[in-house]
Amino acid sequence: MPPSGDAGDPAPADVSLFFQTLVNGLLVGGLYVTISIGFSLAFGVLDVVDFAVGEWVMLGAFVGVAWHSWFDVDPFATLPVTFVVFAGAGLLLAPLIYRVRTSRYVRPALMALAFTFGIATFARGAMLTAVGFDPRTVQTGFAEGTLSVAGLEIPWLRVAGFGFAVAATGLFLVFLYFTRTGLAVRATAQDKENAGLMGVDVKRISTLVYALYAGLTGMAGVLIGSIYAVTAQIGPQYALLAFFVVVLAGLGSVLGVLVAGLLLGVLQALVTVYVGASYTLGVVFAVLFLTLIVSPRGILRRGMAA
Amino acid sequence: MSAPEGAAGRAVLDRLSTSLALKALLAVAAAIVVLTVPAWAGDYWTRILTGVCMWAGLALAWNIIGGYAGYISFGHAAFFGIGAYATALLMQPERHWSFFLTLPVGAAAAAAVAAVVGWPTLKLRGAYFAIATWAMAEALLQLATVVDFTGGSSGLTIPVFASSAFFYYAMLLAAVLSYAISYLLLERSRFGYKVKAARDDEATARSMGIDTTRVKIQAFVLSAVIPAVFGGINAYWITFINPRSVLGAEVTDQMVVMALVGGLGHAWGPALGAAALYGVNRQFLAWFGDTTSYIAMVGVLVALVVLFLPDGLVSLSPRARRMRLVRRLIPRPRSGTGRR
Repeated sequence: MPPSGDAGDPAPADVSLFFQTLVNGLLVGGLYVTISIGFSLAFGVLDVVDFAVGEWVMLGAFVGVAWHSWFDVDPFATLPVTFVVFAGAGLLLAPLIYRVRTSRYVRPALMALAFTFGIATFARGAMLTAVGFDPRTVQTGFAEGTLSVAGLEIPWLRVAGFGFAVAATGLFLVFLYFTRTGLAVRATAQDKENAGLMGVDVKRISTLVYALYAGLTGMAGVLIGSIYAVTAQIGPQYALLAFFVVVLAGLGSVLGVLVAGLLLGVLQALVTVYVGASYTLGVVFAVLFLTLIVSPRGILRRGMAA
Repeated sequence: MSAPEGAAGRAVLDRLSTSLALKALLAVAAAIVVLTVPAWAGDYWTRILTGVCMWAGLALAWNIIGGYAGYISFGHAAFFGIGAYATALLMQPERHWSFFLTLPVGAAAAAAVAAVVGWPTLKLRGAYFAIATWAMAEALLQLATVVDFTGGSSGLTIPVFASSAFFYYAMLLAAVLSYAISYLLLERSRFGYKVKAARDDEATARSMGIDTTRVKIQAFVLSAVIPAVFGGINAYWITFINPRSVLGAEVTDQMVVMALVGGLGHAWGPALGAAALYGVNRQFLAWFGDTTSYIAMVGVLVALVVLFLPDGLVSLSPRARRMRLVRRLIPRPRSGTGRR
């Protein structure tokens, strides 16, 4: 329930709380965009929903923790290395997913879904065995304190996370829209058969996209781990959020992901502040459900036919 | 000339009848063994076998939507939990319902939820359904944790009825009934053909006059009712439930994994998978004291099954092998961008 203040003009404190919530939500939304943009593209190119998306976030966060506690370096400084590590893992995994998806099984899409589910389950179980159930936080010395702008107190950490997210997403979009390989990626997402006829190596493109996506998501995991505490069980929750963004965005719509990711951040922040954090998933589900009924092609109606 | 033929025919008939008699004898023996478990197995093993019955039924239920209808549900724990909470709530001392009356209530509630969730999502691609069911289960889990009448995260306690024999027979009966009903509906009726037709080629099925969305919703409702019944029995059995234990993702994971490892879309696969994996689960619990390594093992197992044994454990039987050989000889069009 929203706090029922006196009817009439709300107090200034309420207004600033509202804007504070809005800004916090937008900043976290940036990270959701980073996670979902690769995820959405991998969905488009491989035609597989990767259930491991949340586990990449979780593993990324723990790699961030390891950077600090094992090697005593700042996890933010080694973000590019984290990217390479996760891209490498993606590079190894992608051919297997591709193989299942294009196999002659009775239901290749279903089996590919089950395969990523197995990978996700393995990652979660292995991390639970290795580090237990305790929550951890990524320690960084890069961004401390808060930024005060127009009466709002914004933690530098969130600003830095948002900045990294914008930079990573921007680079990814430049790759997608201004390079020949990016063109091949978009063509593959639109129509695999025709892209193949035009000389695109669909398998190579799929592997590349999956690797980029894994790298981006792992990197976003480090940033998320510095803002929220993470446990080894956190994966499914972030997977759900990534799905939410993709459904809201409409399958294959990049612009949709930008809008939906930010929207999710704001929605989550508003629900947490005004209704209660334990209702977040309920609201997320309600919105998801309504979107699927009203407009399965996404809020901007730009996605492919579902 | 006819004499040797007649003799050969008689010999074949004789062999057939002895093998039939042998089969009947084996079936009777198996039935006696299964029906007398509480008498000779001791409490621990009776409990284990009760669990096997339950998971066999749950995996079977998941197999209806996952294997027969071809839509992966990642939210089946929701139905299990709905059944568990229906029983637990109605059996509270102030309401004092009879246990047997609570089961239909839970089943009806699960059916209603399945119909509402399935109606928009079963028209779309499988991925959307998977996402929507998963979100539904997570939302229900959170809801059960925050609202008052479910007892929140501390859960509900149910009046204890300590009889492992009763629960063994209850689970066994529920499992046998579930198997019988779904076998008749899916393998021996028009409904089964419709479901499989909608799964294998939706456009063609629709052009044959099958209302595919309707059929899929019916299959989903059927696969939701069964876990609700098992959830109710389970709640009474363990006498204490909380949101994590009956609505948690682990419940769904187990169903998916057991059906997948046993054999998707196969009548006996889920039972096989449930028996194998529940046994392994208990063994891991005994060895390590928790089941986190079991989760990891199960993940690897699923990936391996998908890569190397896509039809599950049932495909290892000699008869299934022959079937596979036959199927391999019939060319199947390779689908480039399948709609699922």
